[in-house]
Amino acid sequence: MSLLEIENLRVTFETETGPVQAVRGVSFGLGRERLGIVGESGSGKTITGRSVLRLIRPPGRIEADRMVFDGIDLTTASEKQMRALRGPRLAMVMQDPKYSLNPVMRVGAQLMEGLLRRDRLGRAEARKKAIAALEAVQIRDPERVMEAWPHELSGGMGQRVMIAMMLIPEPDLLIADEPTSALDVTVQAEVMAILDNLVRERGMGLIFISHDLRLVAQFCDRVLVMYHGRIVEELAAGDLMNARHPYTQGLLNCLPKIGGSREPLPGLDRTGDWANV
Amino acid sequence: MSDFIEIDNLSVTFAAKGRQVQAVKNVSLSVGAKESFGLVGESGSGKSTILRAICGLAPISGGEIRIAGEKLTEKRAKNFVTRVQMVFQDPYASLHPRHTIDRTLSEPLAIHGIGNSDARVVRALEDVGLPSSFRFRYPHQLSGGQRQRVAIARALMLEPEILLLDEPTSALDASVQAEVLNLLNRLRDEHGLTFLMVSHDLAVIDHMCDRILVMQHGGAVEELARADLASANMKTDYARSLFAASANRMLETPPKETA
Amino acid sequence: MTQSLFQWLSDPSPSSRAQARLGQAWLAWLRLKRNHLAMLGLAIIVLLCAMAAFAPLFATHDPFVQNLAQRLLPPGTPGHWLGTDDFGRDIWSRIVYGARITLYIVALVAVTAPVIGLLIGTVAGYFGGIVDTVLMRITDIFLAFPRLILALALVAVLGPGIVNAVLAIALTAWPPYARVARAETLTVRNSDYIAAVRLQGAGAGRIIWGHVMPMCLPSVIIRVTLDMAGVILIAAGLGFLGLGVQPPLPEWGLMISSGRKFLFEQWWVATMPGLAIFAVSLGFNLLGDGLRDVLDPRSASR
Ligand SMILES: Nc1ncnc2c1ncn2[C@@H]1O[C@H](COP(=O)(O)OP(=O)(O)O)[C@@H](O)[C@H]1O
Ligand SMILES: Nc1ncnc2c1ncn2[C@@H]1O[C@H](COP(=O)(O)OP(=O)(O)O)[C@@H](O)[C@H]1O
Ligand SMILES: [Mg+2]
Ligand SMILES: [Mg+2]
Repeated sequence: MSLLEIENLRVTFETETGPVQAVRGVSFGLGRERLGIVGESGSGKTITGRSVLRLIRPPGRIEADRMVFDGIDLTTASEKQMRALRGPRLAMVMQDPKYSLNPVMRVGAQLMEGLLRRDRLGRAEARKKAIAALEAVQIRDPERVMEAWPHELSGGMGQRVMIAMMLIPEPDLLIADEPTSALDVTVQAEVMAILDNLVRERGMGLIFISHDLRLVAQFCDRVLVMYHGRIVEELAAGDLMNARHPYTQGLLNCLPKIGGSREPLPGLDRTGDWANV
Repeated sequence: MSDFIEIDNLSVTFAAKGRQVQAVKNVSLSVGAKESFGLVGESGSGKSTILRAICGLAPISGGEIRIAGEKLTEKRAKNFVTRVQMVFQDPYASLHPRHTIDRTLSEPLAIHGIGNSDARVVRALEDVGLPSSFRFRYPHQLSGGQRQRVAIARALMLEPEILLLDEPTSALDASVQAEVLNLLNRLRDEHGLTFLMVSHDLAVIDHMCDRILVMQHGGAVEELARADLASANMKTDYARSLFAASANRMLETPPKETA
Repeated sequence: MTQSLFQWLSDPSPSSRAQARLGQAWLAWLRLKRNHLAMLGLAIIVLLCAMAAFAPLFATHDPFVQNLAQRLLPPGTPGHWLGTDDFGRDIWSRIVYGARITLYIVALVAVTAPVIGLLIGTVAGYFGGIVDTVLMRITDIFLAFPRLILALALVAVLGPGIVNAVLAIALTAWPPYARVARAETLTVRNSDYIAAVRLQGAGAGRIIWGHVMPMCLPSVIIRVTLDMAGVILIAAGLGFLGLGVQPPLPEWGLMISSGRKFLFEQWWVATMPGLAIFAVSLGFNLLGDGLRDVLDPRSASR
């Protein structure tokens, strides 16, 4: 049975200079699997992810023919229902950890907040769980990080803290928006392994948003390629390197390769018919 | 006098709230004129700090830096800024949000009393492949790649010989990264520039650089020639693990292990 | 014609510096226009300015002419629809002329205090170290005194009068701006774009003036509009205590002060100027709130 079903999702922003259509008719379904969304920046990946949690603020507007999460209709759910879903069942790791952590609260307090309030755990137990979560995302010195302020963390550290925070309530669906783009390759691999584990062990659904095609190919089951607010191609991750759509092919070709030639890298050719959708 | 940039036993120590953080420990390297040299390593390994130390933006606690044989003094010499310029990692943070592109590009000319700024700004925009209609836009009206082009144009306004590049494309999309890397290579040829480039993407470094220094925890681990990288000819474990994590960036992608 | 002007203003690729700047202002105006409360605040302030500029047109009587036969008439009396005070002067006309004094004080304070504050704050924040410590301790000393008391002391030394009142208010109003500017400077100081101009050989003066101040300006402007209400109140307070504007000038605080004696029997004499102060303070506060949304660099990023 599928965890999330979306049909014809559209998101429009009313700006001073006229309406901007950020997402223009996106449909997909998701089981308890790893779904990747790739595309250039501005293609609407983040907005698609946020729409699932209905986290689009005015002047943005969400419209969809159907948006169902585990039998719950997200288009008609009340704001109260949504609040109850966000966190325990639907979680999202935001793109920029700097703006997603509360700057005037220690990291530990933020991690424990949900455990103390929602799950009504004791302080000692909440602390133990929070530290375990930090260890799960490969933070070397969890005790110190618990006492740190968000501004004292590096970008990579902040992103891992965000992931830990989202995973504490064991959500059914995690939307990870570029969770590793501030990390270097070695740490990236570690974080991906953690997410991978969670999907397998807990049967969590994962939407993994990234602009790194190679990472998505290596790590996801299925991939959606977005361009200009639309899905232009959907394929099994294993086939991504042999994609047929000219946009996907173009994106793959512009990557430099170790041992490749020193010729100028091919740019993305935007003159094809596909570019004017 | 073959080596243009020479760094000898450089150490950088930050004093942060009473604690001493040694971000760079006894690193030595040398870069020839018109060469392109790469620094790789995990984040926090001190790559950016080396570049910032050269520019006088980080406190040097030991060792010395020479440029064309001249030792850098505490107060940088007058000609330093016309010799060395830097491009920062985050194009969203390196342009003044309340200055137009025109102001950003003409500022260095104003500082040094160089005239003819209109023509120079137009030429600089042309040089980095931006239409002149962008001249009076504000940074928030540009995309990340366009901003990085502006940052590159700004660094070239004073016609330096050395360009320090701190992860110039890590905030950019694949397609834009390709454009910016091509632009950098073209400008290097045209202006005869020397590059000292930081990246955590081995494929980018391999594409751009002739020699590579691998760093970890503020220290130098191993220096590699470009050929060593492609043939996986490393001596240290750390360099090898870095290489292994970048396996999907090889020319022939190895088959995926897990489906 | 207007259509093409709007197009010219919202052109994403302006062709001159002036067009770029006007375009930015135009977008800010559009954003502000969306905020109804801010527009209400702006309307009140525009009305105040109009009242001050065209006082003779708005006023129904001479604000200084006494008419003891008509003293203390209640509001609603034909010809004196806000009533008259204890000398038989028309309260509405006095409020209208009082707007001039209020605006004069507000304008003078607005061009002096923020400038002093900005200068001290950015210099302290940019240089840090000993400069910062010294300047900020001075700021703290000024902040430690209650503003009205300090203003009182200054006026007591300088002697009463409108210019001295302004001077006293300005000298007590700058410390908060210095604090705001310093805080903003601290976040800007280590940014890459400042590092970039430093790398191009720019000196401290140029960086502070051309690169740091533009970033501090929005928060200071917001602070100024929010503080204007306080300035009006302090000016009124000084007037009330007889240390600011001197009678018979129709300053609002002074009018309240003179109405105090018969507050219970003839409430309108003190209440009408009080309402004027309230309305104008509200206007500045609403506008300040709206400006925060428009000018704050963090919200203007999109
Ligand atoms: N608040 C907003 N107002 C106007 N346009 C917006 C807003 N937020 C996003 N957009 C537009 O939506 C598009 C998609 O954005 P986003 O989903 O963040 O892209 P991605 O995550 O793929 O980089 C962009 O073109 C952007 O301009
Ligand atoms: N201004 C600073 N104050 C204190 N520590 C710093 C400062 N800048 C960098 N560091 C520390 O120096 C180390 C190296 O940082 P950096 O050179 O930015 O790494 P890289 O660029 O390789 O990711 C990090 O541990 C970082 O925390
Ligand atoms: Mg995004
Ligand atoms: Mg760095």
